[in-house]
Amino acid sequence: MPESKPLKQSPSTAGQARFKVGDRVRVKDLPNLFYSRTQMYVRGVVGTIAACTYQDLIPEDEAFNRDGRLEQYYIVRFRQKDLWPEYPFDNDTVQTESPERWLEPADK
Amino acid sequence: MATRSDLRQQQELIGAIQPALHVPQNWNYEVGNPLYRAYMHPPHDVGGQFDAPGVYEEKEEEQWELNTYVTCEVLGWRGVWNSEERRRRADNDLGYALYLGLPYYGRWILAAARMLVDKNHISLVELMEKIAEVKSRYARK
Repeated sequence: MPESKPLKQSPSTAGQARFKVGDRVRVKDLPNLFYSRTQMYVRGVVGTIAACTYQDLIPEDEAFNRDGRLEQYYIVRFRQKDLWPEYPFDNDTVQTESPERWLEPADK
Repeated sequence: MATRSDLRQQQELIGAIQPALHVPQNWNYEVGNPLYRAYMHPPHDVGGQFDAPGVYEEKEEEQWELNTYVTCEVLGWRGVWNSEERRRRADNDLGYALYLGLPYYGRWILAAARMLVDKNHISLVELMEKIAEVKSRYARK
């Protein structure tokens, strides 16, 4: 029987958060290969860090039952107009959660 | 026991629910990047896609749905899988036809069965024979 790996109680930490609240970030467009939780509609779009939430397992690891590595998660806020050019209202925003690996500084 | 004509009808239904890709696909010799990307797109990432207006109704969970939920959670507590693996199996791995065609908890229980077979907790033959046994028991009632 293949080994099933239950989650460890205290995985290693991810270190310092790379981004802080207010930073402008762009969502990366990494390959879709077997698993992804990063929505198409936010990829390549610039948003603002609204909160540094917590450190948790890397989704691409956890989805295949690998544990031990953590990364920082953020709430990112986007202008609706940046997501949908035809959106009619300037001030509306939408927030979504993203792990650090999927974000890069917007000025890059 | 299904008749030949039942099976023929079944085969027609299987053909009819193939994903409508708008372009006939038949083991392409070459697949360009946009088409490759479309094939690899996770079925559950539907945000922003065009769709026909749908009717959504409030609905109480049925007993089999609650049983499915509990079964999947218990498998998690025992360390057999975690919630992200469950999402991967029930959202990504089933493909478009099953993702869009099955009820929410239908995908969960199918993903759980596949996981138990993949990890050798049960054998496929064991599962097939058990399902056949239960079906025949119900048929006799």
